[in-house]
Amino acid sequence: MSVTTESIPLLSPDLLAKLERLELVSRKVFRGRMKGERRSKRKGQSVEFADFRNYVPGDDLRLIDWNLYARLDHLFLKLFQEEEDLHVYALIDCSESMNFGTPTKFHVAKQMAAALGYIGLCRADRVSVQALGNQGRRAPVLRGRSGLWKMLQYLESLDSGDNVSLHDGVKDFSLRNTGTGVIVLITDLMDKSGYEAALRMLVGRRMDVYVMHILSPEEIDPPVRGDRRLIDSEDGDETEITINNYVLERYKSTLQSFLSGVKTFCSRRSIAYLPVRTDQPVDDVMTRYLRKRGVVR
Amino acid sequence: MNWISTLLPWQWALFAAVPIGIVLLYFLKLRREPVEIPSTYLWSRTVEDLHVNSLFQRIRQNLLLLLQLLAVALAAVALLRPGVQGESTSQGRKVFLLDASASMMATDAGEERNRFELARKMIRDQIDDMEERETAMLVTFSDRAEVLQSFTSDRGRLRAALQRAQVTNRPTDIVGALEAADGLANPRRSSTTGDANDVQVADPMPADLLIFSDGGFRDVSEFNVGNLVPTYLQVGSDEARNVAITAFSADRNVEKPGDAQAFATIVNFGTAAETFNLSLYVDGAWRESESLTLAPAEETGVTFSLAGQETAASLELRLESPGSGASRDQPLDDDLTIDNFAYAGLRPLRTVSVLVVTEGNKPLEIGLTTDSAAKVCIADFQSPGYLDSPEYLARAEAGLDDLIIFDRCQPKELPQTNTFFIGALPSDQWQWASDPGQTILVDIDRTHPMMQYLELFSLLIFEGRSVSGPTGTRELVGGDNGTVLALAPRDGYQDLVLGFEIITSAADGTPQTNTNWYAERSWPVFLLNVLRHLAGAADATAAPSFLPGDTIRLRVESQIESVGIARGSGTPETVRTGNSGSVEFVDSDQPGSYRVTADEKLVDLFSINLFSRQESQIQPRETFELGYETIETAGMIETRQEYWRWILAAVLVVLAIEWWLYNRRIA
Repeated sequence: MSVTTESIPLLSPDLLAKLERLELVSRKVFRGRMKGERRSKRKGQSVEFADFRNYVPGDDLRLIDWNLYARLDHLFLKLFQEEEDLHVYALIDCSESMNFGTPTKFHVAKQMAAALGYIGLCRADRVSVQALGNQGRRAPVLRGRSGLWKMLQYLESLDSGDNVSLHDGVKDFSLRNTGTGVIVLITDLMDKSGYEAALRMLVGRRMDVYVMHILSPEEIDPPVRGDRRLIDSEDGDETEITINNYVLERYKSTLQSFLSGVKTFCSRRSIAYLPVRTDQPVDDVMTRYLRKRGVVR
Repeated sequence: MNWISTLLPWQWALFAAVPIGIVLLYFLKLRREPVEIPSTYLWSRTVEDLHVNSLFQRIRQNLLLLLQLLAVALAAVALLRPGVQGESTSQGRKVFLLDASASMMATDAGEERNRFELARKMIRDQIDDMEERETAMLVTFSDRAEVLQSFTSDRGRLRAALQRAQVTNRPTDIVGALEAADGLANPRRSSTTGDANDVQVADPMPADLLIFSDGGFRDVSEFNVGNLVPTYLQVGSDEARNVAITAFSADRNVEKPGDAQAFATIVNFGTAAETFNLSLYVDGAWRESESLTLAPAEETGVTFSLAGQETAASLELRLESPGSGASRDQPLDDDLTIDNFAYAGLRPLRTVSVLVVTEGNKPLEIGLTTDSAAKVCIADFQSPGYLDSPEYLARAEAGLDDLIIFDRCQPKELPQTNTFFIGALPSDQWQWASDPGQTILVDIDRTHPMMQYLELFSLLIFEGRSVSGPTGTRELVGGDNGTVLALAPRDGYQDLVLGFEIITSAADGTPQTNTNWYAERSWPVFLLNVLRHLAGAADATAAPSFLPGDTIRLRVESQIESVGIARGSGTPETVRTGNSGSVEFVDSDQPGSYRVTADEKLVDLFSINLFSRQESQIQPRETFELGYETIETAGMIETRQEYWRWILAAVLVVLAIEWWLYNRRIA
């Protein structure tokens, strides 16, 4: 497995143009912080009628429906749907295991994060693209198209090799960010302590969780044969193995059961599970695959 | 199932180190190549899965090692030569009699080149199957027996001896080979049976007598197998095809010496009718062909006329394929080739030289100068006084004349040639056996060529005596008082003695007739017979034919010191002449026309042919008589069924699988 330095830009101009027309879908309705373009739980100012309620002293007089008062001789407030912004988080796993494949999983993860982030920025959402671990602390919170440059700068500055476990990374993120919203966890899920605790924690915070599982073709169909000593890139753990077709078949079935395990785990908890291969073009993933899966529209 | 170890104990010890070495090397050699991967997370789980059925997995892991050990184990088994023993010999001693005669060259031997190779293979199998304690001996036989290897248990020497064995062009005589085997199995006693002092000179050595032959030899009646247990292993198939030339000769026409005739006898020994061409080649050039069809066992005679053949000629008769085009003129493709060719020589036309020593004998003179006689003879008449001349002595010493006729006279020493004495005795070995008197002829030996066509009972003989000669004298004409005409051999020559005179001299010297023979028709015929058969005019034209392997004795002029003998147009072999021009030639295995030359001049011709019906009759015999026993064919003797070849093949298969697995694993 080769480790290559990526010189490909994270987002191409073509892709940017396509992304501008997309919108992140939130399966839950969250309360935002600012006025935005999304329907909020809150009633507020918009053109869309929501409800009536009795006037209580202190209400804004501007909201009183004077027509109703004329007919019924009661003061009613006319309520409208409030449109607010959405919190969009993209969390990138920066462990050493992400630094494999051609292009590396890490690079693809950054591309995905940038693309999702840009969609959010275009929709005036509150976007925060962060790395798990220490690098996440300096992540900017962005809003508006103008934040693109800043987001890209942050993403470019990320390095792989920040080997924190998924659980620790997510915990750290949760402590720092109390808001709810859409969270896209971009990871390879290769964590020996397991991915379950981390996902549970996100679901517990009533986030709308998307797991983007990045897999390289080398992981799906390893090109190694013969008597090998496999060294784990993260913890240096060694596994001696004689890889023949039989063992490969076993590996593939293990991988399949792992993937179906993740899928089952996610679907039980309303987590959208999105496996992505690194050899799939980002363009294709964003405009076709995620659309098909209902992540964007 | 039994085993024959091919290795010595210390070699086995060495061999045992091989699997140990493989195991050690396997553990030493297995260096895993490190590979960095994103995470061993899934791999660890895979390995854990594999460990669930760990025995099976361990086998999978070490499959290559197991295969290598299996290959070594199989090789060890192969080295033990496992096999199922066929018939085991009870004697522990075998005599292989291998027929090396011409009929063994027949090609009806299945996959082998010919019967001889098949027999050789059968013997090789027997040698391979010999156990350590067994000994064997190898004897080949054609017209003579040859012990190629005396009793030994060394299989290597037996194989080497078998390799040396060659098939020959010779006829078969098994007696010599039987005697060789017999000498060892049935030792002779020191004296007669029943003698109290009789001791056995050696222990009898009972043996299996394995005769590998097609049975193409005469039954042996006077042989006692004694301690030998004969087994006849018939070689050859019953459907063999063979057409053979069993006789071929050429002779000049006595009447017209320029013309010659060739006679051949052709026999079909096969079981199916054969059609073929018979072609005559004279000095290598085609002369005449005839197409023939012979039913099984049919025999036919063919005559070819050769006009204007005055010089010496080598004749070759070939059986050729009847086809046209490319197969035309190809030798007939039957199972035995050697008898498809026959050779004959036609000597140059020559006359015999006859010296007649006489005081005057008109009937003799007339008889030797008849038209017929003059064609074959040049007669030189001399008086008895000539016998003392140095010229005669030199002539007699050198044997320049083919015949010297002594009429009523006797030389001091007999000449180196054939003689005919009329009314005189050649030497002291001859005596007059009766007193002179009127003689009546009683008996004529018509079987002798000199006596053919003669009617002598009407002869009147006024005064004759009977003669008695040395040992070996043959009576040609017997009278009432004993032998009148006798023929006796003398150092390779012959002396013919007539007991009565043709012409007598009266007291006054005038010649008188003693018999009316000169007036009989039989007189010139008799003289012609003498010229042809005693002076050698008859065999002057047809060259003799010998069997392959015969020792060939020829007589050339005594002045010639050495001659060259060449087969066909080959390189001549120089042979020195012996006493009085005798030549012995032993390198006579190859059939063909042979030319005897001296100073590049043709001196003589002879040919070597396998004119043997026994050899040409190639249908193998089922039985033959040996002593008072009838030996039946044992078919194929059951040999030891060996498995080591199969095991070696399995080793190869195992190695191939091991290699394939290895490549699949590292690919």
